Amino acid sequence: MKHDYLDKYSSLDSVLHNLDPRTKIVCFFSAVIVIVSEPREETTAFLFYYLILIALLLASHIPVPFFLKRCLIASPFILMAALMLPVSFLLGGKSASGNLNIGVFVFSLSILLKAYAAIILLVLLTSTDRFHRLLKGMRRMHLPNILTMMSALMYRYIFIINDERLKTNRARDSRSPGRFQSGRIKVYGNQTAKIFLRSWKRAQTVYQSMLSRGFKGDFPEFFRLQFKLSDGVFAVIMIVCFGVVRVFI
Amino acid sequence: MPDSFAVEVKNLSFAYGKDPALKNVSLKIRSGERFGIIGPSGAGKSTLLLHLNGILSGDGEVKIDGLPVTKKSLPEIRRKVGLVFQNPDDQLFNPTVEEDVAFGPLNLGLSRKEAGTRVRETLKQMNLEGFEAKASHHLSYGEQKRVALATVLAMQPEVVAFDEPFSNLDPAMVKHLIEIIESLDATVILVSQQILPVMASCHRLAILKDGQVIRVGTPAELAADRGLLKECGLDVGFFCSICKKLDL
Ligand SMILES: Nc1ncnc2c1ncn2[C@@H]1O[C@H](COP(=O)(O)OP(=O)(O)O)[C@@H](O)[C@H]1O
Ligand SMILES: [Mg+2]
Repeated sequence: MKHDYLDKYSSLDSVLHNLDPRTKIVCFFSAVIVIVSEPREETTAFLFYYLILIALLLASHIPVPFFLKRCLIASPFILMAALMLPVSFLLGGKSASGNLNIGVFVFSLSILLKAYAAIILLVLLTSTDRFHRLLKGMRRMHLPNILTMMSALMYRYIFIINDERLKTNRARDSRSPGRFQSGRIKVYGNQTAKIFLRSWKRAQTVYQSMLSRGFKGDFPEFFRLQFKLSDGVFAVIMIVCFGVVRVFI
Repeated sequence: MPDSFAVEVKNLSFAYGKDPALKNVSLKIRSGERFGIIGPSGAGKSTLLLHLNGILSGDGEVKIDGLPVTKKSLPEIRRKVGLVFQNPDDQLFNPTVEEDVAFGPLNLGLSRKEAGTRVRETLKQMNLEGFEAKASHHLSYGEQKRVALATVLAMQPEVVAFDEPFSNLDPAMVKHLIEIIESLDATVILVSQQILPVMASCHRLAILKDGQVIRVGTPAELAADRGLLKECGLDVGFFCSICKKLDL
């Protein structure tokens, strides 16, 4: 089975793709902190932040529709969070000053802008590098080994679980001609249980195969990451851009 | 000259919880021999394999090249015995083919450079040059099988044990795999419920049923005992009659 929906576009050839994953992790997460900590009245600042983000997106060569689709996945949660505030004010009837004022909307808007900025940066990070290189970066940055190892295995198991899901889907559909309605929830429940049991069994076998190849709890490293001049240049540009907007605008 | 044994199993018993899976199994496999273990599904074949490099440990004794399998000898044992699992998906968990092949050698303590050499040699041996940077979940089943074998061979084990190597393979791939197996410079153990390819490639076979070894012999000896094969659900007379009928 072909699974490239996760790693799609992660091996393009662009300025961003060619950076060391550590550079991107540090720069992007710092950028998130800078944007999130921006006082909410500074609406012009957000405009400039978004201009930087758009520049980054263009530099990445990732097709915009694909990019937007990915950002959209997280949208329901963000919209809900942003809508919660005005809605709760409306329903509650009373705000501190007794009526629904413009401040609440600015507040909601700033939540929205901040959340999307974070998402955009995260999507940029995960689609400009292969997953295992990001993990390697995290490991070189001395994040706990157990964390990166679990992520690595989870990434591996996503494919296994997806395979099992497709298989059980097929088995289910081939035995339910037409649309089945009654007991639908129960069928899905059983299917989910089955997927997890099977995945669990396979996880156990994978672990046995690792042991039989001498695994002692530490993933050995075959590749070394290497900083290049471009990493330094990129970091400086990011610091200057975000610094200027944060301090002067 | 007395035979030297690559694998010696003596009175081995093992149970999953209360269900016995192996009962008093004893086997001796000579160095350089290709040895088949056949038996119906659920006979305990896979369980027996997992004992050969200490992933499971039951009552009794298992010796590899004269070295008893104990907690202390595990690193040495796992270097000596390579297991090729039935499903290549279970064996390939690294992002790229070369990292998967390097995984074993690096665990043995080889340097990156030495591991890199092993990777190149083994991929060449398996006809997989150019596959280094590919992700294994993007390969065809036959290619995955060969990569899985490469991950084991890269550790240069003295004993290579295959669990159901012929399952899910088309006839041409079965033939190709037999050729690869026969070219290996190691003691080979084949575990399968598909008796024909095992009979074709092994020097000796053991029949395992309900966790017990009930017969050891050459392919010709076992083939002569049709009654026994029938009793174990391993008789292939049915297939032979089809071949005759179709003049294959
Ligand atoms: N992880 C397990 N837990 C419990 N029982 C198991 C497990 N694996 C195998 N068994 C049982 O042990 C017996 C032997 O299994 P196995 O060695 O896989 O047989 P074979 O490989 O010959 O088909 C079977 O009855 C099987 O149900
Ligand atoms: Mg089995």
